Amino acid sequence: MCELCEKYGDNGGRWYLNPENYARPLYKKVEKEKEKEPMILTELQGPFYYKPLIELKDNPEAFEKMREGYLKFHETMSGQVVSLEDAEKMVEIAHPIARIDCICRRITRATLEDGEQRPRSCLGLGVGMFRWEEWPERYKGGVEFLSTEEAKEHIEHWHKRGMVITIMTFGTPYIGGICLCDYPDCLAIRMRLDYGIKPFLLKGHQVAKVNYEECTGCGTCVQRCQFGAIKMEVTTKKSNIDMTRCFGCGVCTYACPQDAISLIDREKLPGLKEEW
Amino acid sequence: MIPQIEIDKNKCPTPYECKKCLQICPQAIFAVAPTKVERFKETAPEDYEVQAVFKDKCVLCMDCVKVCPTGAIKIKVGGR
Ligand code: SF4
Ligand code: SF4
Ligand code: SF4
Ligand code: SF4
Ligand code: SF4
Repeated sequence: MCELCEKYGDNGGRWYLNPENYARPLYKKVEKEKEKEPMILTELQGPFYYKPLIELKDNPEAFEKMREGYLKFHETMSGQVVSLEDAEKMVEIAHPIARIDCICRRITRATLEDGEQRPRSCLGLGVGMFRWEEWPERYKGGVEFLSTEEAKEHIEHWHKRGMVITIMTFGTPYIGGICLCDYPDCLAIRMRLDYGIKPFLLKGHQVAKVNYEECTGCGTCVQRCQFGAIKMEVTTKKSNIDMTRCFGCGVCTYACPQDAISLIDREKLPGLKEEW
Repeated sequence: MIPQIEIDKNKCPTPYECKKCLQICPQAIFAVAPTKVERFKETAPEDYEVQAVFKDKCVLCMDCVKVCPTGAIKIKVGGR
């Protein structure tokens, strides 16, 4: 069980499938907290905020100290990788669901997803979305409200193209978004992989495993992993997944033409069940 | 050693509209963001700034310097 499930799960269930974490009273509480420092600022200026951390990299002691501050901050804005199956369950709980542009890519590559030239990739969840017009800078290009079915299609569409499905809180445990992410433009993946900001993006509840009997060594999966967990083992002509590096996103399972990769529950592997 | 990368805001008034360095960098080290965000208002293009946020990953290929139409980017090796 990950720490978020321990704290916010519903009797041992996964925290993000607990309807309470999508509820209006929780949103209100978060809104009140936000008054102090509007979340919209941290969200839109995220990387500027990290700059001091990066600059301190030459100074290991100061770097560590700063890093601790970020780790603490991300206890309130945290994320986790989820499987397609779980994401589909989430959109059955969340309401409303709005398709919005991805803020990370706008920041790191200056690409605006306006829905016309570029399809939007992010989903905003919950009652806050009804007030999107209050923050035209965040919701540049507008928002598009989706039905549960449309949201499922949206997620599947991007996931099959290689995007990792992640969820984000806006005041943990309030779940504010389902994101479709890749490296290096997703700040959550990046801060976790490159700078070790773990609570920004926890690993998912599953991990991928190759069935060597089925694998033909075609290499398709290797190109798809956003976490650098898959390598081609040249001598055996099979792909190899380092399960300690795998985030359990499931992208490789959809990419494999042989159906040779399966997702298994992290909890079932004593060596990985504490690895988030 | 982290290189020193400075972007002259005067030579880069509306980075979000130019975005050349942001898109060419193989290491995706730049970030562009509004310097202010207000309710009911989109931020003006002049109130955006580009910064070399993830500069610890810069490999000094100099593509950004070459692509910048106004010479706004200065990179010093072995800085700080
Ligand atoms: S977390 Fe992913 S989808 Fe969400 S804003 Fe960042 S890159 Fe975009
Ligand atoms: S190995 Fe597969 S499931 Fe694991 S992180 Fe890579 S693509 Fe995702
Ligand atoms: S895509 Fe499937 S068959 Fe191809 S190398 Fe990966 S696991 Fe093997
Ligand atoms: S020198 Fe190359 S790696 Fe460094 S910031 Fe410029 S484009 Fe990026
Ligand atoms: S290429 Fe130069 S002018 Fe264009 S955004 Fe980058 S720094 Fe600014």
